[in-house]
Amino acid sequence: MSRTIEFRDALREAMSDEMRKDPKVFLIGEEVAQYDGAYKVSRGMLDEFGPSRIIDTPISETGFAGLGIGAAMMGLRPIVEFMSWSFSLVAADQILNNAPKMLYMSGGQFQVPIVFRGNDGAGGQLGSTHSWCVESLYANVPGLKIVIPSDPYDAKGLLTAAIRDPDPVFCLESERMLSMTGEVPEEAYELPIGKAVIRRPGTDCTVVSFGRPVHFCMAAAEILAKEGIDIEVIDGRSVKPLDIDTIAESVRRTNSCVVVDQSWSFASVGSEVAAEVHRVCFDDLDNHVHRVHSDDVPAPYAHNLEAEMLPNERKICEAVRSVTYNA
Amino acid sequence: MPIDITMPRLSDTMEKGTIIKWHVAAGDEVTAGDVLADVETDKATMEMQSFDDGTVEQISVAEGEAVDVGTVVAILLEEDEEPGSQPETPSSPAAAPSQPVEAAPAAADPAPAAAPAAAVQTRSGHLRITPVARRLAEEHGVDPSTLVGSGPAGRIVKRDVLAAVGAGAETRSSVPPSAAPAPMTPTSATTSAPASVPAPQVIQATPVSEDQSQLQVIAVPGALQSFEQPLTGMRQTIAARLVESSQTIPHYQVSMALDVEPLLALRKSLNEQLAGTGSKISVNDLLVRACALAMYANPLMNASWGGESIVYHGAVNIGVAVALPDERGGGLVVATIRDADRKSIRVISAETRALSEKARTRGLTVEEMADSTFTISNLGMFGITDFTAIINPPNSAILAVGSALEKPVVRNGELVVGHEMTVTLSNDHRVVDGATAAKYLVSLREIIENPAQILV
Repeated sequence: MSRTIEFRDALREAMSDEMRKDPKVFLIGEEVAQYDGAYKVSRGMLDEFGPSRIIDTPISETGFAGLGIGAAMMGLRPIVEFMSWSFSLVAADQILNNAPKMLYMSGGQFQVPIVFRGNDGAGGQLGSTHSWCVESLYANVPGLKIVIPSDPYDAKGLLTAAIRDPDPVFCLESERMLSMTGEVPEEAYELPIGKAVIRRPGTDCTVVSFGRPVHFCMAAAEILAKEGIDIEVIDGRSVKPLDIDTIAESVRRTNSCVVVDQSWSFASVGSEVAAEVHRVCFDDLDNHVHRVHSDDVPAPYAHNLEAEMLPNERKICEAVRSVTYNA
Repeated sequence: MPIDITMPRLSDTMEKGTIIKWHVAAGDEVTAGDVLADVETDKATMEMQSFDDGTVEQISVAEGEAVDVGTVVAILLEEDEEPGSQPETPSSPAAAPSQPVEAAPAAADPAPAAAPAAAVQTRSGHLRITPVARRLAEEHGVDPSTLVGSGPAGRIVKRDVLAAVGAGAETRSSVPPSAAPAPMTPTSATTSAPASVPAPQVIQATPVSEDQSQLQVIAVPGALQSFEQPLTGMRQTIAARLVESSQTIPHYQVSMALDVEPLLALRKSLNEQLAGTGSKISVNDLLVRACALAMYANPLMNASWGGESIVYHGAVNIGVAVALPDERGGGLVVATIRDADRKSIRVISAETRALSEKARTRGLTVEEMADSTFTISNLGMFGITDFTAIINPPNSAILAVGSALEKPVVRNGELVVGHEMTVTLSNDHRVVDGATAAKYLVSLREIIENPAQILV
């Protein structure tokens, strides 16, 4: 039975479902308990699961991220909430140096079944230091997985899969999407990590994106359709592992590809997708892969500048026209 | 405004520059700092860079052509400028004229005038075509070289191939290269066609294959093929230097038939004595030294035109033209036998052989080709009776040597069989007048016909 709920409710359902089923799962982070979550994702969870499983922390990301990793090593399944992934930077040693490498460094003795989740990307006038897109930076590290849900259905399915996964999974959400509504089944379900989905079928160009920019791509598709350009929009869902098979299957039909990635362009998810498409689809390409990223500047505070900095519809349309020789 | 690119003054004394090689072709996009061409000045070969961003609309000066400083050599269009805003210049050597295109076997239809045919080829001579367009062309049996690309710089893209397939290869892409303002028009054709990449088998049964088979019936396979071979560096150098020599030096020739009976006898005798030593003297070796010795009485033949003066050289360095094997790209180089007047014939022989061998296998260094004061070009081994050669600057003369032929000659009032060799001296009239050239040949004959003096 499915009904329409918000993105944040979908996230909470995933966590609550798994906590009901598995007593080893707990949630820890800043303001997750008494305040019901800085963004109300964990509303009501303290009442249901009590303070031993819904744990408020001081403002000390390194401390509670490390605590979570230790708990995971000892067999629990922590969900660590970062109010923003921008704040995870201070816990980089824990989340990049310890969590993803522990299984390797311990010779297989310590599995780290942990989820780190929080808001990623420009949240709307949060300024340069609080508008991080961490996916490109973090995807470089072996031993971790990264999922980026773009709607409530994916949020529940991907977070459920993340909690059940035996390895560290980073779940990248967006405060700009938390109020988005969508049809979500009541029962628990899992979306496979590392599997992309075609959001909109098309014939002229494959447009690959992740998370919130998928919606920019869908809007661009409408504009381009009026010009006679029919794009296929692929939502990668997972950055790592990357579902190159689905992307390649599409590119072999459309013969062109644009990657829309909200991180900066240099050594990014976008450049990785482009490199892979060039590798596996070389003989199928009618143009080199075009990329749309956030501009190579710190995120501006001004509303209009922030919108311009992001990989917006206009930039996507320009890239698609160019890659299909319609510019 | 289209930007005129002019021959830059690359040195203080430069008045003319020769475009040795274009690095761009019409239709190429360039950014400031890109190398447009290699320019040979009076001092060196230097790079000519673009000072602006834009698209090359036209190349006005061909490779190898020397033009005055300030001459427009190419025209650049700034961003958003439409080609054709500049009046057509009739001589656009880099852009292939329409004639050859029509003559191409597969081109049954005239090429659209709007699309520069040369743009299809990159500067390296490869077809500018996207991978999928190449694959589709292969699958549908379309010869991509007959297509005109609608992509940037004439790149052949998918829609060009599909258009050719759809039209039975009768019409080429109807999309002009810069139909920018109205993307709808070209797109409608594009979007309908590639909805699914068509299965090759189905399409091959369309009229395209019929056209193909007709072409095959008409076509008679010939022993030769039409194709363009990009110039090697050596070919460019030969072209540039000889054009310069031929155009700037007032050449004239004087010829003389030499009795080489005594020379051949001397050579035979020498080689008999040298048998087993590894040395073998050639006619050319003897000629090298003879030419060098003949300079003593005719020092002007060993001089160079200096513009403001005649430059006499104290050393007699004889250049020997060496043809290179076709496997190595052909061409020729001139190896320098330094101080040929002061070297023994055995040394000259050994040096010539070593330099020729090195030229044919590994190539000569600049040092080994520099500083000649006179050059000998010998085609006698091919049975050539006589020919004229182009002077190798800064020499003032070059001796073209023909074959030693058996001829009826009158000797002491009797008709006997002798050996004659015709030599033709090409001279720079700025330095050497006819009488001077004639006197030199007289001196040379005197030495050749009394060859013992070559040995001392």
